[in-house]
Amino acid sequence: MSVSGYAENAGQFGKSVMNCSDFAQDIALYCYGELTGEAEERLEDHLAGCQVCREELDHQKLFMDAMNDRPEELDFGVLAECRQTLRAQVATTRPWSWNNWFRNVQIPVGAMALVALGWLGAHYTPERFGGVRAGLGTPPLFSSVRSVEPDASGRIQISVDDVTRRVVSGDPNDPHIQALLLTAVREESNPGIRVESIGILQSRAGTEEVRRALLDAVSHDPNSAVRLKALQGLKTYSASADVRQTLASVLLKDDDPNVRVQAIDLLTAHRDDALVGVLQQIVEKEDNAYVQSRCMKTLQAMRASVGTY
Amino acid sequence: MQIAGTVTAKLAVPIDEAGLIRAAQKGDQDAFERLVRAYDQSVLRVAMNLLRSPEEARDVYQEAFLKVYKNLHLFRFDCSFHTWLYRIVTNICLDHLRRRKVRKEESTVVETSDGPMDRAATLEEDSPRGNPERQMWNAQLSDRIQRALGQLTPRERTVFELRHYEGLRLRAIGDMLGTTEEAAKNCLFRATQKMRASLESLL
Repeated sequence: MSVSGYAENAGQFGKSVMNCSDFAQDIALYCYGELTGEAEERLEDHLAGCQVCREELDHQKLFMDAMNDRPEELDFGVLAECRQTLRAQVATTRPWSWNNWFRNVQIPVGAMALVALGWLGAHYTPERFGGVRAGLGTPPLFSSVRSVEPDASGRIQISVDDVTRRVVSGDPNDPHIQALLLTAVREESNPGIRVESIGILQSRAGTEEVRRALLDAVSHDPNSAVRLKALQGLKTYSASADVRQTLASVLLKDDDPNVRVQAIDLLTAHRDDALVGVLQQIVEKEDNAYVQSRCMKTLQAMRASVGTY
Repeated sequence: MQIAGTVTAKLAVPIDEAGLIRAAQKGDQDAFERLVRAYDQSVLRVAMNLLRSPEEARDVYQEAFLKVYKNLHLFRFDCSFHTWLYRIVTNICLDHLRRRKVRKEESTVVETSDGPMDRAATLEEDSPRGNPERQMWNAQLSDRIQRALGQLTPRERTVFELRHYEGLRLRAIGDMLGTTEEAAKNCLFRATQKMRASLESLL
């Protein structure tokens, strides 16, 4: 069924001469509706005068019809099982969204991080600051092959994603360094690096961005050591309404008692009558004796009842 | 002129896809589930057809939709959701096919006292319909098609499956596989040539 070269059927198009074997690929693509208008016209002109290629077209259509005969029944039992398993998995998986904060600041922070990287690249040269040059000639830390494609000449085209390392240094008060630290808190998969970054940022929780990053880490970071570190950073701001709201939420939802102990200490450091309801709820559901006793003492100091009725 | 009579990968019921995606991005699990249901039959079918293994197809389904769930906040509407989802699905399927190739999966052909026998060929067809001759022809053709598909490289098989059975455009397929439309065209042509050569005696 293959189409061999038929020089007698060759047609001239511009400067190139095409013969039947050149049209073989076009015939397959023609059947799939994947030719450009120009190529389609060129092929149809050729088909009009070439019996061999008309036969090739018939074979291709026959092949496609035969392929369409393949039974394609979806097993709805398997589908139902898949849906059930997925629902269960989704219920126990947290989407990595960082909720509103992440969406709201992602673009500005991302842009800022890029600007910071560019700025750092220009200003904090390794030579000036004793950093390590890891640019040209440095082997990538990680390579991932995206595609491998042989071409007609027998050469191979491989598309590779490379990750390389660059070291930058600067003052922790530098906004560009802070932008990188915020990116690390938000995106770094290694919890040790997140703890380290929060440790540096926590003394700068006076800025809105750092504070929001700490609040989000307290609420959403999957690692309790990171959440504890972020709580430490919020210590001096425990009187603020947004911090208190987050602390109350942590007390109700966080599954690590150490985090709840730290949160109750911060929350009860300031009297706040609006917290009575939350504290009563915590007394009811809390199984950690320390947290429960702190709540009860605070409620008693407020002359509020310990239980809900 | 358009001859291709392939299945289109469009949704049967129009839905406000962008609205569902935005709601799911905000954590609305109901919206996420509706999004899944709009595409999951197609995802499972592609996985089944590419891998020919219900177990692996199940794994692909779970892995793909969990990836979507975890990374939906990164979806920025700069390509269609369909393309984005299929990119995830095809990459997972390709990984499965490549792994299978590396570990040289157990052959379906076993030695018996009567000589070599293909266990796949002895599997009963689940849907007895039509006349017995037609049924036998379908079974034979199906078996030959599967063998022919098995001779394609993972990439050729994926391109063929997505173009022929899912009706996706080669430009979109190239985009999903991280390659050019031209490369996808070459790949489809190689696949059809190999398939036709394998099925020559039946056609």
